[in-house]
Amino acid sequence: MNKPLEIVIVGGGTAGWMSAAGLVGVLKPDQVKVRLVESDDIGTVGVGEATLPQMREFNDRIGIVESDMMRKTNATFKLGIEFRDWGFKGSSYVHPFGAHGRPLGGVGFHHQWTRARLAGRAADIGDYSYAITASRRNRFDFPATDKTAVNSTYDYAYHFDAGLYARYLRGWCEARGLTRTEGKVMEVRLDPTSGDVAAIVLESGEVITGDLFIDCSGFRGLIIGGALNGPFEDWTRWLPCDRALAVPTERSEDFTPYTRSTALEAGWQWRIPLQHRTGNGYVYSSSFISDDEAITRLMGNLDGAPLMDPKPIRFKSGRRTASWTRNCIAVGLASGFLEPLESTSIYLTQVAVLTLLDLLPRRPIDPVLAEEFNRVVDNEYDRVRDFLILHYKANNRTDSELWRHCREMEVPDTLREKMALFGHRGHIAQYKDGLFSPPSWLSVFVGQGVLPTGYHPMADSLPLPAVLEEMEALRTRISDRVDAMPSHADFVRDYCAGEAPLKAMGAGA
Amino acid sequence: MSPPMRPRVEQVLVVGRDAAVWLSALALHKALARTGVKVRVVEMPSLLTPADVYSAVPSLGALHSLLGLEEAAVLEATRGLPVLGQRFANWSKSKAPFVHGYDTHRITLNDIDFLQFWVKARGEGMKVELDDFSLAVAAAKQGKSAVSRDGDRAELPLSSGYHLDARAYVDLLRRTALQAGIEGRGADVGSVQRDGDRIVSVTLTDGMTVQADLFIDASGPAAVLASGAPDAPFESWRQWFSADRILVAEAPRLKPLPAFSQIAAFPAGWVGLYPLKDRTALVAVYDSRTMSDQAVLDALPVLTGLPLTGEAAVEDFHPGARPPWTGNCIAIGPAAVSLEPLDAIQLHLIHTGLSNLIALFPAEAEALPEAEAYNRAMASHLANIRDFLITHYALNKRFDEPVWDRARDMMLPEKLQARLRVFAARGRVPLYDDESFQQQNWAQILIGHGLIPASYDPMVDTVPVEEQMGKVRGLLSRIAEEVQLMPVLDTEFGAG
Repeated sequence: MNKPLEIVIVGGGTAGWMSAAGLVGVLKPDQVKVRLVESDDIGTVGVGEATLPQMREFNDRIGIVESDMMRKTNATFKLGIEFRDWGFKGSSYVHPFGAHGRPLGGVGFHHQWTRARLAGRAADIGDYSYAITASRRNRFDFPATDKTAVNSTYDYAYHFDAGLYARYLRGWCEARGLTRTEGKVMEVRLDPTSGDVAAIVLESGEVITGDLFIDCSGFRGLIIGGALNGPFEDWTRWLPCDRALAVPTERSEDFTPYTRSTALEAGWQWRIPLQHRTGNGYVYSSSFISDDEAITRLMGNLDGAPLMDPKPIRFKSGRRTASWTRNCIAVGLASGFLEPLESTSIYLTQVAVLTLLDLLPRRPIDPVLAEEFNRVVDNEYDRVRDFLILHYKANNRTDSELWRHCREMEVPDTLREKMALFGHRGHIAQYKDGLFSPPSWLSVFVGQGVLPTGYHPMADSLPLPAVLEEMEALRTRISDRVDAMPSHADFVRDYCAGEAPLKAMGAGA
Repeated sequence: MSPPMRPRVEQVLVVGRDAAVWLSALALHKALARTGVKVRVVEMPSLLTPADVYSAVPSLGALHSLLGLEEAAVLEATRGLPVLGQRFANWSKSKAPFVHGYDTHRITLNDIDFLQFWVKARGEGMKVELDDFSLAVAAAKQGKSAVSRDGDRAELPLSSGYHLDARAYVDLLRRTALQAGIEGRGADVGSVQRDGDRIVSVTLTDGMTVQADLFIDASGPAAVLASGAPDAPFESWRQWFSADRILVAEAPRLKPLPAFSQIAAFPAGWVGLYPLKDRTALVAVYDSRTMSDQAVLDALPVLTGLPLTGEAAVEDFHPGARPPWTGNCIAIGPAAVSLEPLDAIQLHLIHTGLSNLIALFPAEAEALPEAEAYNRAMASHLANIRDFLITHYALNKRFDEPVWDRARDMMLPEKLQARLRVFAARGRVPLYDDESFQQQNWAQILIGHGLIPASYDPMVDTVPVEEQMGKVRGLLSRIAEEVQLMPVLDTEFGAG
């Protein structure tokens, strides 16, 4: 056996600790020696973070027990995201982790729904989605394993305290022999001949060498952007928001099994319910509102008492042209930023970590592995990007400059064609890799007012009355089954009550 | 309340010949007849000779299921055989032949691709070939069949491709279509009436003029409708495929029947040997500047070890593709794309065109925004298939023969270069959108042609060596047992 590959992770936080947990959880100590450098002085934002169902694959892969993780991060369940005021003021729709109905007459359910709608006979599309109906009634239970059952047609994710999650992973990694070093990185040393990263130098003067450096230093990209000067692809022309304010509030009555995103005049506000408090924030464009006005707007729009002053965050949407450059891999915010509108940040970190595990290099690092890594990661970023842009492009708000600007902006060709084909006939192409399958696109299209004027002609192979009957039966079956579910609050209390929440909410046993 | 419906596509005219015309008509009829769409056929004179064969990858079975064609009935009517793969011989002068087997899954141990264990073991001196770990290959080598004469099949992770007598297959399709109520008319196309990029009507040589909302061009390489479309140029792929001739011939049936096709390279190209129940079809694809038609014909008995019977036929061949959908006309199969039948993809190309067309069948007759999406999806499908074919040429090891030396040196499409680079580095095949061939297919031909990954996935080392060896032994004995239980092809389908 050769000497283990020495991997240095620069930065803690979610990205750093997920990278560490992936490497330590899957590989053996004689294969990799992982060291993580972070500084307690560099705080984390510490608000709630929303995830996607894929997170469960990550936890399973490295062997994390769900209920334990949820207890220790004050986590709650998530069935989707509610979008308020996005399509137009007063509107509300849910992007669910699950399907809308089942194929009928050889075509996707939504073609029949469109047909029924054009005949004036369809209910809200959300009524045919189990996850949406459960969300609307604040219910939660695990999906059934019997794939024919109506309550098997959804998936779930978590809301948790990202700071606690990082701490949880840290304990998990340290118990498995990972070395954590406290300290600030003062200098990145490059090998003068190869140009690779040779070492980082800490404030203490300690020099840490390694074979592979994982840059989890956040927005600034200490190694990838700093020392290696890797170019950044700027997507501000499509995603104009560049700032955020985050503020936690006390837990409120409204204990939703979903994230809420409310469109405001110059951006949107998030709301993420945790067991012990609620995470809130305002993502906005500094071109359309001042920081002071944004603070006033956010603080006036909370449903619980704030627990601290709002914390400002600045960002730029886009990604590194090459996340893996030489012997440095940028993971998390160092590799790119997409606003948390669809809770993709931890997912993109997860993709980077799992792809790295798939392509783990040996010494000397073969640049072909980097090329393949970048192809996979870029594809994921680009597809999320188009999906996010759709939320801005497809709006009918007339109340502010930001929304007018977004409605009129040019969008990438890939998205333009997708919108046109959906509007014409409800067609949604399925791609092989990358987030957001047709049900996700469907919910946002319909929710934001892109309603198909036609449908797949094969839908007509079933007579309309038979279709309407089937749709109504489904709606009733979903509604009845959802009524038999426990409330989200009860379910969380019984399954994974955290240490802090009961005290904080001042209720319960 | 509801807005008035815009006019729908009600009349579809399918113009063409051979498998493409009848598969198109049947598939569209099956999907849309109940919605009021009427499919009519103009069948042009066949280009097939008695020697012709359709060799098909397993996806044809899925198409037949959709069309309501029973596997046993198809095999019976076409004197056809189910086969488990293709054996590639003489693509290297020094290396033994290999079989690309039709396994449906890649094999994994502890969720790690088995190939990775093989690469490691090979580096440590193991001599067992990768294809010995393929159920389909093992079964093919022992002359087995996944399906019995009656159409029964065991639940095994492999599937059958097919060899079908081409004329008998077209006859079967025609019969099935006419029985389904599709109107057909035998004629040639005299002229095409256009309005801008749309076709208004087609006038046949018998004087009849037929109008339709949508036209399907299944006429073969001549593309009688599609080639006249403005702004839809044919893109040549000659830089990757030097063969310009396809020759078909016949030989006596083999005894016992082999359960695979054989694809043997020779100085000017390759010759395929496709066993049928009552004969063996031979197809030679070659560069006529290197060997004349007559020279190839003379060489065939030597190359195949079989005497020729019946008449041979030769046709010109030009590889390439055109945008299949322009205006209200969609080209299907060889009218849209010409690729040599190297990986048994002729019928699959038709199938792919049809399944994409059904997914995007126009929602209305006048505005057809589907065309752009269809053309992009098809271009992506076709490029992936094309690259699979190119791979055989690019990795050949027939040194000091001009056709083959050029093939090794040619500039490859960029995505294929990336695939080969990543595989050579780590035994992983990057897969893109719209793939016909999966990880296990790519890995089999890449390894078969001698592209051995330089390193394996370190994840392999997380599995203890004894466990690895135990699992590998278990895999080999399971394959042996499963093959043992499969019926013998010759017993099931041999003419006695």
